[in-house]
Amino acid sequence: MTPPKPHRILLDRVSVYADEAAAFMRRRRISRRPFARLYYPHGRSADHAEDSRSGAELFVSAGRLIEVAGKKQKG
Amino acid sequence: MAQMATVMIQEARARVTVGIFTQMPDVAATAPDRESAAAALEFLGEMSPDLRGAAILGPEGEVLAASEGEPERWREDAAALFAAADGAEETAVEQVHIATEQGEVFAIRNAGLAAVAVTDRFALASLLLFDMRSMLRELADPAKGGD
Repeated sequence: MTPPKPHRILLDRVSVYADEAAAFMRRRRISRRPFARLYYPHGRSADHAEDSRSGAELFVSAGRLIEVAGKKQKG
Repeated sequence: MAQMATVMIQEARARVTVGIFTQMPDVAATAPDRESAAAALEFLGEMSPDLRGAAILGPEGEVLAASEGEPERWREDAAALFAAADGAEETAVEQVHIATEQGEVFAIRNAGLAAVAVTDRFALASLLLFDMRSMLRELADPAKGGD
């Protein structure tokens, strides 16, 4: 039995990396739910749930800005 | 629920809008000219392919530059966002990142100025915030320049 040609090994490795990257992107899209995160001085941050009062205000404000910005117009 | 949230945001706007921009550090004692702000905004758009629209706000909350759309809407909605963010913990925020199904919103205060940006979903958050911060710093003090 002859060993696989070197260029085949390289191609296989590249396709494995591509598969891994595609899977990572799929997982990221699924797991990344809407969130509202505020950052304060000295590196502190806080998440606000959508169903909390502060979270609801933030999501409504964000929705208005998204509306103002409109759809992407670049070709 | 949507109606209740709208009422809440209107309350927040009325409550805090007037004062929110006075909470920013007074580095930019005089607002940069609108031409520089427009150029900076255009450059931000070139660097950020996910950007849908953005606005730069002066020390008093006035719009120095904005993407297509009504500048007055940008001013009002940015003020409402900062009001809601500051009201969440009764503390002035430095940055805001909100991700929704429709897109993502970023807001930042730096050097007495503020900027808001709307992007597609899954934008590179830290990179965009870095660019926005550099943009504001450079606008506030062109002699120092960005990072």
